[in-house]
Amino acid sequence: MAIVQCHSNGLPLQIDTQIGLRRKRQMRMALIWGGFLLFAAWCLNGTIVEDTDWSRIGGRNGVFASLGRYLTIDWTLLPELIVPTIETFMMASVGTVLGCFFSLPVAWLGAVNVTPNKTILYPLARFLMVISRSVHEIVWALIFVSAVGLGALPGVLAIAMRSVGFISKITAEAIENIDAKPVEAIRATGGNEFQVMYYGILPQIYPVVLATVIFEWDINIRRSAVMGLVGAGGLGLLFFRQMNSFNYGGVSMVILSILLLIVLGEIISHYLRKAVI
Amino acid sequence: MSVLSVRNLRVRYTAKGPEILKGIDFDVEGDDFLAMIGPSGAGKSTLIRCVNRLVEPTGGQITLLGQDVCALNARQLRGLRRNVGMIFQEFNLINRMSVMDNVLSGRLGYTSNIRSLFRHFPKKDISQALDYLDRVGLGDHINKRADELSGGQRQRVGIARALMQQPKLLLLDEPTSALDPKISREVMALILSIAKELGVPTLCNIHDVQLAKEFCNRIIGLQDGHKKFDGATATLRESDLEEIYAMEVL
Repeated sequence: MAIVQCHSNGLPLQIDTQIGLRRKRQMRMALIWGGFLLFAAWCLNGTIVEDTDWSRIGGRNGVFASLGRYLTIDWTLLPELIVPTIETFMMASVGTVLGCFFSLPVAWLGAVNVTPNKTILYPLARFLMVISRSVHEIVWALIFVSAVGLGALPGVLAIAMRSVGFISKITAEAIENIDAKPVEAIRATGGNEFQVMYYGILPQIYPVVLATVIFEWDINIRRSAVMGLVGAGGLGLLFFRQMNSFNYGGVSMVILSILLLIVLGEIISHYLRKAVI
Repeated sequence: MSVLSVRNLRVRYTAKGPEILKGIDFDVEGDDFLAMIGPSGAGKSTLIRCVNRLVEPTGGQITLLGQDVCALNARQLRGLRRNVGMIFQEFNLINRMSVMDNVLSGRLGYTSNIRSLFRHFPKKDISQALDYLDRVGLGDHINKRADELSGGQRQRVGIARALMQQPKLLLLDEPTSALDPKISREVMALILSIAKELGVPTLCNIHDVQLAKEFCNRIIGLQDGHKKFDGATATLRESDLEEIYAMEVL
């Protein structure tokens, strides 16, 4: 109502309304920030102040001394590292390839313009995509370790399951965004459904899909490095053993090799991506 | 007997939506190069897509090469589509494939899944494709990617692809409206000469009346889903055109 008044009554009232409006906005900002700070304080109190065992930390020097133990590197571990490093790399690669295969049908069912059934199969595929992503890779690994036992296989399966969500979602979206015109042309030549997909759809989506798979592989190297924590092979297992035997230099050595592996993966995926796009 | 006969054709895209075609009748004879003219939204594209059922008619009858088009099942429909070459306004090529592969894709209706998976087309198809590419003047661009070509060249790829089907009827959906006037004439002349050479009747949507008069022996005028004119090109008068394009003037 003030705005209406300022129009008819001229300048002085307009300034008053302006100041009033600004004050109102300042009050609102103060309330929002105040509320946010209160919430943050409540979280801090719950997680750190009340939940930490302050008596065991034992002063500033104790903390730094504990962290300092990791600064040494146990080079004698090197020969034992080679096989698990390769295993980690393979787990990531095989898991990604397997994940791609699982993703194909999920993406097909989950793309609204090509799905054979919109009432049952489409929601099912969408549900699978969410399940795959909402369960952490370590949880997937725990499930598969209990199903198929220790070793690299449960790691591969866990990585494959975790990859399906992202790859199939991006692929389904790429299918939904295709240009319908080449599809129409292939249909007009008398092509069947397979030929329509293979000639009309696939050439349009494959750069996106390939780039996504390379990206996922890059992430999967990271994932497979921790799989061993729950007994699924690779560098993680070695990490876990060094930690349990209080060999802090060994822990650092394992972390160093994980770092090197990830840098290597980064370099490879950089060149692969360049080759694709 | 006519190659294509359409009786009382009606189309709605949705049950409650507007009727796009409101009872169309016409025939295409064996030696026709028939133009379908009319303002945008008159239903030209819808009509041409009913012929090979890229759009499902809601009523009426289409008889093509002696077959009742609306009664065919999926497999029979694919068999029929192989005989109908189609050339599109925006070429509808597969951009990431080579010119050669695009032309060969015209043979998909005759190719097994296994062969198409490996793009392993028979030798006679490849030599046929080379001939047609030469005929449309793309002999030097065979291994380029389709998206490297100019508009006129792309439409020539589209023509060669349609010819690969050994069509018994050609459907052209605004084949020149994405091209400049000079190239448009070249493309129309090329299609006309090939159609005459191979003896293929042709049904052509076109909004450029001048081009229609120049190249086609018969003209059908559509307006808002009704047929307003059907006769030899020479009999099309200014008053007929005014009636067909009446809505646009307003």
